[in-house]
Amino acid sequence: MCRTMATHKRILSALGNGPARRNLFGPVDREQLQVEYQAALQKDLEEASRRWGYDFISDKPLENSDFQWEGIPGNKVPLLYRSCMFSLGQTGVQSPAEAKVDPSKGGRVASPHSEKENIPGTPERRAFNLEKLEKTPERGESTGVKRKQTNITDFYQAKRRVVWMPRKSGE
Amino acid sequence: MELLCLEMDTITRARPDPNLLRDERVLQSLLTIEERFLPQYSYFKGVQKDIQPFMRRMVATWMLEVCEEQKCEEEVFPLAMNYLDRFLAVVPTKKCNLQLLGAVCMFLASKLKETRPLTAEKLCIYTDNSIRPQELLEWELVVLGKLKWNLAAVTPNDFIEHIVRRLPLPEDKLALIRKHVQTFIALCATDFRFAMYPPSMIATGSVGAAICGLQLDSADQSQWGDSLTDLLAKITNTEVDVLKECQEQIERVLESSLREGRQQQQQQQQTQRGPSGKGLDELDQSSTPTDVRDVNL
Repeated sequence: MCRTMATHKRILSALGNGPARRNLFGPVDREQLQVEYQAALQKDLEEASRRWGYDFISDKPLENSDFQWEGIPGNKVPLLYRSCMFSLGQTGVQSPAEAKVDPSKGGRVASPHSEKENIPGTPERRAFNLEKLEKTPERGESTGVKRKQTNITDFYQAKRRVVWMPRKSGE
Repeated sequence: MELLCLEMDTITRARPDPNLLRDERVLQSLLTIEERFLPQYSYFKGVQKDIQPFMRRMVATWMLEVCEEQKCEEEVFPLAMNYLDRFLAVVPTKKCNLQLLGAVCMFLASKLKETRPLTAEKLCIYTDNSIRPQELLEWELVVLGKLKWNLAAVTPNDFIEHIVRRLPLPEDKLALIRKHVQTFIALCATDFRFAMYPPSMIATGSVGAAICGLQLDSADQSQWGDSLTDLLAKITNTEVDVLKECQEQIERVLESSLREGRQQQQQQQQTQRGPSGKGLDELDQSSTPTDVRDVNL
């Protein structure tokens, strides 16, 4: 019985109706906030452009940059960085431009799952979630479906080739 | 009739790894990298025009309450405050956006540290819906950019086990000491004066304050050999004088926070019951619910 009460109390307190639920500094000016958000993103983008010598909006390298840019086929780009998350069937060659994260969307890929902000957006997981009827895998829930463990090397294949290291015989 | 689910809500948590805690290199690495995650400026003298130190305290107190109510892992709150300070050190922020920033910082810290993190919706409810989940997600990106995506900051909590394990403490008191240390660390995070201190110093000072507060240092003087402060200073390579000053500062902040808590309670009770002749002692006994109250000063 004691346990029941404790659980019940926890459920109630989880609703956030206690005194912790409060607005501290008055109303937020939504329009102004949106303007500041866009400005902040714009500034980040400009800084990134300067730093990498690349115009992320027109998707072209800048002249006089410290970097030499080289196009590579889309299928060499790690899955994580491809803009089209749902076309998993298309494993053909994508153009280099396609294989980029779209910075005008703030580097975030628009998707119908955007409300599930806690799920990392790797394609595998997204596909997995579609199967599970958009249900967030909760702790303790037996998912039943075994999914391949994602290795860090899945994402860094491209980089590994660039590094000047003799390959191990096993590779 | 409502149905009540009685399934136990156990949290999956890794056990402390003795290999990591006993290895001197881990502590040394923490000490080497901790400075990288400190806010760059004392931002009330320059960057910030609209917000004042007391507003930081307001948002910090609110964040701590949310973390406590949501039973977040201990390090979520100090980590969120680290993000908040690092953001405020570089971006002039308006008062009306400070709570949004606090919510974003908790959101990020919780995602980094917890198996089941706080959701955007829940955090928006805690702001009394003054912000929307969409805005939280948008500003998450802005904050991440300003933090240069360096989220795995060293917090004072990272040092607790390393310090406690190197002290001759009675095994049965360890849990209580940890709890007090965590309370002190949270208290420091709410106070701007500690924002520029290295996490190891806050942790060491908090351990010192906890042991003194529980009067474990006076029980058996001989076991310490050197004085407690000297021993603590050695563990985290802190200067003895600086550490002493830090510990005293923590004790002062604790005292004033206790006094404030008592006053608030008194006010609440007076407004509830009217100014009847309730003695101070009586009020004192119905203490605040926080752990801080258990400390014997």
